[in-house]
Amino acid sequence: MDHRKRVIELSINDEPYVLAVEPQQTLLEVLRDSLSLTGTKEGCGTGECGSCTVLLDGKPVLSCLMLAVECVNLDITTIEGVGSIERMAPIQEALLEKGGVQCGFCTPGMVLATTAMLNRNPKPSEGEIKRSLEGHLCRCTGYNKVIEAVEATIEKISDTHE
Amino acid sequence: MAELDFVGKSILRKDGPDKVTGRASYTGDIKLPRMLVGRILRSPHPHAKILNIDISQALKLKGVKAVITSEDTLGIKAGFVETPRYPADQYPLAKDRVRYVGEEILAVAATDAYVAEEALSLIRVDYDPLPAVFDPDEAMKEGAPEIHPTHPKVKEPLSNIAGKTQSEWGDVELGFSESDYVREDRFESHLRTHGYLETQITVASYEPGNKLNLWTSSMGPFLKRAKLARLLDLPVSSVRVRKAYVGGAFGGKVDLYSHEFCAALLSMKTGRPVKIEASREEVFTAYRHGQPLIMEVKTGVKKDGTLLAQQIRVINNCGGYRGSGVVVIFLGWGYTMVPYRMANFKYEGYAVYTNNPVRGPQRGHGAPQMRFAVESQLDIIAEELGIDPIEIRLKNARESGEQLPNGDNVHNCGLKECIQSAAEHTQLKEKYGTGRTTASPNGHIRNGIGIGVSSYMSGSLIYPNSSSVSVKMNDDGTATLLTGALDVGQGAETILCQIIAEELKIPFEEIQVIAADTETTPVDIGSWISGNAYVTGNAARMAGTEVRKKLLDLAAEEMEANVKDLVMENKSVWVAGSPDKKISYRKLIGASIQKRRGDPIIGEGHWRTMRDEPFHPSLASTKGRWSENYAFDAQVAEVEVDTETGQVRLLRAVTAHDCGFPINPLLVEGQVDGQVSMALGHALMEEILMKDGHTLNPNWLEYRMPTIHETAKSEHINVITESYEVGRPYRTKEVGEGLVSALLGAIANAIYDATGVRLYSTPFSPEKILYGLGKIGRNQKVS
Repeated sequence: MDHRKRVIELSINDEPYVLAVEPQQTLLEVLRDSLSLTGTKEGCGTGECGSCTVLLDGKPVLSCLMLAVECVNLDITTIEGVGSIERMAPIQEALLEKGGVQCGFCTPGMVLATTAMLNRNPKPSEGEIKRSLEGHLCRCTGYNKVIEAVEATIEKISDTHE
Repeated sequence: MAELDFVGKSILRKDGPDKVTGRASYTGDIKLPRMLVGRILRSPHPHAKILNIDISQALKLKGVKAVITSEDTLGIKAGFVETPRYPADQYPLAKDRVRYVGEEILAVAATDAYVAEEALSLIRVDYDPLPAVFDPDEAMKEGAPEIHPTHPKVKEPLSNIAGKTQSEWGDVELGFSESDYVREDRFESHLRTHGYLETQITVASYEPGNKLNLWTSSMGPFLKRAKLARLLDLPVSSVRVRKAYVGGAFGGKVDLYSHEFCAALLSMKTGRPVKIEASREEVFTAYRHGQPLIMEVKTGVKKDGTLLAQQIRVINNCGGYRGSGVVVIFLGWGYTMVPYRMANFKYEGYAVYTNNPVRGPQRGHGAPQMRFAVESQLDIIAEELGIDPIEIRLKNARESGEQLPNGDNVHNCGLKECIQSAAEHTQLKEKYGTGRTTASPNGHIRNGIGIGVSSYMSGSLIYPNSSSVSVKMNDDGTATLLTGALDVGQGAETILCQIIAEELKIPFEEIQVIAADTETTPVDIGSWISGNAYVTGNAARMAGTEVRKKLLDLAAEEMEANVKDLVMENKSVWVAGSPDKKISYRKLIGASIQKRRGDPIIGEGHWRTMRDEPFHPSLASTKGRWSENYAFDAQVAEVEVDTETGQVRLLRAVTAHDCGFPINPLLVEGQVDGQVSMALGHALMEEILMKDGHTLNPNWLEYRMPTIHETAKSEHINVITESYEVGRPYRTKEVGEGLVSALLGAIANAIYDATGVRLYSTPFSPEKILYGLGKIGRNQKVS
């Protein structure tokens, strides 16, 4: 394999990055190892657990299955771009309030998947909620409190809109 | 009683903001200058002699910094159990012989993962394969391949015995002869994994002549430190293990693992930090899962349902080394001893070496399996006698103040209330039996309901045995809590802060916490023996009480008042009735430094469960006391069975549990829900499939854990048997393991209720149900 590095430009959380990557490097590796954006987690590395989810042009993707060189010219959103401790996004607050977080390892992926779903459809049905989170394994919570948190977020958003 | 401001409230978890924003730093997020990547070479054979290891080509590869084999170690064995009867039996890197597929042979450190993996491919190991045995029944037979020398104290013609537990009281034969009905069944449980999302991972960084630093995904740093120091022959104080956030553990990260040892030794050899991360496939194939048990249960009862005698024989397929296999056969005794009175009891447990991967603790550590067997059989007996499942349980359930056969006391026991309230809440008595006997309105869909019962100890004596907590006041009147407890997601840090907030009346947000660092925090019992809320919690309470006393004494002096007239609130003290004349903690700390020869006000608390007992009870004879604090629960499962496909859905799980009192109700709910989901997975979905020692489904596509589509409605009832009072010891109970333990039996009983099919083995697969319904042959597969 040709391991020579390519210089690419990435747009991550509205910040421009220019960096040299090997062609086989995944987006996940580049985010975590090259850029220290470690909020994106690796639970399996084979696209089964959803922990590494990021948004590409607003759509959730598994960053462990994407090559970094494929992401040029796309807007990448990671958990670091969603909210901060001082200014959390509604889904982040709701996960806390409803007890939808325990060990927290799957949480960034769930936050991003929910963000994408709510941007697409601010009033999803329970079926849509489940479909958007079906690729995210969580061993701690049993999911019930995660669903409650998403439902609370939907209510909160519709209150602020009305 | 004074109203509580913090304890008993659903305060949001301390680490929550870090976790939802991605700021929380897990071991894998740690990056150190010049850090190397380590990889481990594992055995492809279930049983083989190692003839030769050639690392010469790997060492020539550019970027390879070190390769370690057993020759680089001190030749010291490690074990989950290390006692005179059960000495450690596993080298951190195999020497001469491998005993399971995945056993660690050597480790490399290289400049990056690609180089490390290429190095592994350049290593040649010559093996001489040996006959292997995988089934414990086969392994026990005379002439079976010998995996280790058989345990010298087991004088029976059985091979490959890693350990044996024996216990009895009363006269079980007499009990059976006096029984109106005697029932004998054999149950089997299967191999399941923990399913923690973060794999096993360690960063080691050695500072020559000073410290070996370790960050590792674990359940408590002190056990890791002690074992690592012993294997490397370093003084304990030269090893520092400290906190990173932990991405789930569920029992799977207690013991010291080879990768932790290898990361440490590679860092010592290279003088550079080393990170070793197991792949998900490695976790599935080579790490320790829960214990598959064979359980033979013989029970004698009177006509009225009174349990008279029980004889149990447990066989544990414990893998190539003991792991926690000899602990589970002890625990199998414990988890049957507690919930019901039994005048005559005889127990035998065997841990059997096989050429399977080693087993370790897994949430419940034997209790789900044992309760499945006992609770299933209890329903069989009840039906035989024409008694309903609730009555037979109430008739035999323990009550407050009862002494157990081993000398333990159950103290406050809400078991009967748990059984009653779970049954009433679900209308179990009305529903039970209707699934089988009435025509189903949905054609081939049948509904069923069933109950199971469990009891779990809240802390016992396993190293480090006790917890200590320090609280130091800060100049601004806030407090910093130092604890060795490691939050694995259950909320350990949060509840300890709640306790300190309550004792000191400092707002929860203003309590800082420094946790799980062997160097700076006091020792902790660990987040694996269900003792965090009780043992560490009481240590925290004691530390808080000491600070409180110092603050109040000073305030009394300053205000010329009597301590008992003082009120504390929001970092201030005043005399009852005169809140306008208050003195702040900030001022009291200043006064303390001035008047108490510089005392900045530090409190220390410590707690040891079973304080009069020197040791954990004997794993061999069960003699000695086990715990001073038992939690109880009853769980009801409502299921739907498709009699065409054999598919079972858990619709609803109701958990009624005597948890003492919940320190944080929201966190307790989280524990309930998580255990319901885990039990659902173990009962209906998950199974590690093995053939000749190889794992056939080492990934989450083929090992199916519950997703968001497989959820059950989870409801719970807290049965309150204890209370919290500032300044007083309390006896609240565990909520992290007992609630995964009763549901397996409840689901089995519900499936029977729906279909009339009695299942004697887990998981409750469609094949077994269709076979039970007479629709397919034995061992026939459905696709």
